[in-house]
Amino acid sequence: MIYPSPDVQDNHDFSCPGVDGRRQKSTLYLTFCGQYFIDIPDRSTYTFFMIELNSVTKRYGSLAAVDNISFSVKTGEYFALLGPNGAGKTTIVKMLLDFTKPTAGSLSVNGLCCTDAASRNAVGYLAENYHIPPHLSGWQYLQRCAELLDISRSEATDQCRRIVELVGMQGREHTKTSTYSKGMIQRFGLGAALIGNPKLLILDEPTSGLDPIGIREIRQLLESLKNQGMTIFLNSHLLSEVEKICDNAAIINRGRLLVKDKISTLVKDSDTLEDVFVRFVKG
Amino acid sequence: MKMPKALSPIIKIAKYTLTDEVRQRSFVVMFVICVTFVFLMRGCYHGNYMVNGQELDAGAIVGSVSRATFHVIAVGMMLLTALFSMRVFRRDRDEGMQSSILSKPITRRQYVIGKVLGLWVLSAFFMFILHAIIFLTASITLKVVMPGYLVASLLCSFNLLFVVIAVLLFSLMMPDIAAFLCVMGIGIISFVADGIFAISHSSKAQAMMPQLGSQQDWTAWRVVYYLWPKLSGTQHFASSFIGSEGFPEYGSIYPLINILIYGLIFGALLFWRFRNEDII
Repeated sequence: MIYPSPDVQDNHDFSCPGVDGRRQKSTLYLTFCGQYFIDIPDRSTYTFFMIELNSVTKRYGSLAAVDNISFSVKTGEYFALLGPNGAGKTTIVKMLLDFTKPTAGSLSVNGLCCTDAASRNAVGYLAENYHIPPHLSGWQYLQRCAELLDISRSEATDQCRRIVELVGMQGREHTKTSTYSKGMIQRFGLGAALIGNPKLLILDEPTSGLDPIGIREIRQLLESLKNQGMTIFLNSHLLSEVEKICDNAAIINRGRLLVKDKISTLVKDSDTLEDVFVRFVKG
Repeated sequence: MKMPKALSPIIKIAKYTLTDEVRQRSFVVMFVICVTFVFLMRGCYHGNYMVNGQELDAGAIVGSVSRATFHVIAVGMMLLTALFSMRVFRRDRDEGMQSSILSKPITRRQYVIGKVLGLWVLSAFFMFILHAIIFLTASITLKVVMPGYLVASLLCSFNLLFVVIAVLLFSLMMPDIAAFLCVMGIGIISFVADGIFAISHSSKAQAMMPQLGSQQDWTAWRVVYYLWPKLSGTQHFASSFIGSEGFPEYGSIYPLINILIYGLIFGALLFWRFRNEDII
């Protein structure tokens, strides 16, 4: 966990708040690159944020795509970032992956600053409108992704085989991706994101281009990952799916955070998440 | 032996760049055309050449033709390398490979080095094969071995490194075709400046100096000659190994140093520019 506070000292002993409210003695280390991290004796008793945004602003000229947004996502949480088109959802995802720099504020993933490439060690990413080089087959693409993560060849082959089954693409994995439909590319994209068993899955419109059966399969797949302790950060327009999968959600509009809460708290009585979304966005 | 951790992604990205480029149909077509052209050059070795009414001996013919072919291949490869390089970032972006690579624990610097390395190795290897065909033709058919020919090819590959870095840098700042034309412009000015410098140092030009223009004009050309990226100079330095015995004079190494310094400067600019680039 990064604590960029100038007050803390090198190798400083202090107490750290836990999920159960208790505090336990921990050690704060100052790394050579000026970042701090905590060594906590019993990690299981403490809250770790997989994602943290502190007063993040992103401006394109005079337009604020993201305007002073702060929130965090706990480890193991299924989190949905909701908002209309142009709300700033994809910009937040891009800042988390260091694809674009924030104008102000800081972001961390898995306790590391987003500018640190090591923060992406634990991240699987599925982009909106996913593309795969057309001259590669789905299998070759997955192998490449595994190679880039320094996974051994035999382990990569095992993982790729398992993932091809998981995303339901058996029998098509060795054909060129230029022959794939958008939905098939999306499935391979999700498969590529799952390579290396990431702790955090960042999904930008994962069901885009999928038919209803495909959407249902992806939802079931994401639900099954929940049991493995994976954290999911989901950008989606399919509010009914989000409602079924996610624990927490944040709604943003015009770069501003409107609300962040548990979905069970946001959706009351006969309301649906769609009603809540429309109510917040339309003010 | 285990590869250093920072080096591993660079090698992989270089490998992907290389294989993706070779898979392009345009690359295969270019390669076939170039190899055919070089094979056709064999005919030039068998002609009877007369200079001032005297027939040239085989050694002189081989030396001259090989040297001329060396320059044609080197210049042609600079052109082809610029063509290969200009679309690399855009293609990676369009095909989703850039975001796929950079969403992994790979730094932008590693990505850029991998791209540069892949393109450089590919173009240098391409040029080496063409030069090697000439080398083998001369060795097998005419029994004239020119070991300096392959050394010259390797030295000339530093020009290709400069072209790769420059085109990649410019392609981040302007349309691909403009980046290509800019680097070709740098090359043309380099060759023209070298030509003018050579002419200005000829005895005829020295005699005509007062009529040719003011001393200031020549000084401006000298500045361009020394400070401009010396693509032409490096090529001439490399070609001095062909048929020469021993190492060329020390002063002539300046073009190579010049091109390496420019490579470093442009490389630093490329890192800086790509660090601030938004990944789509």
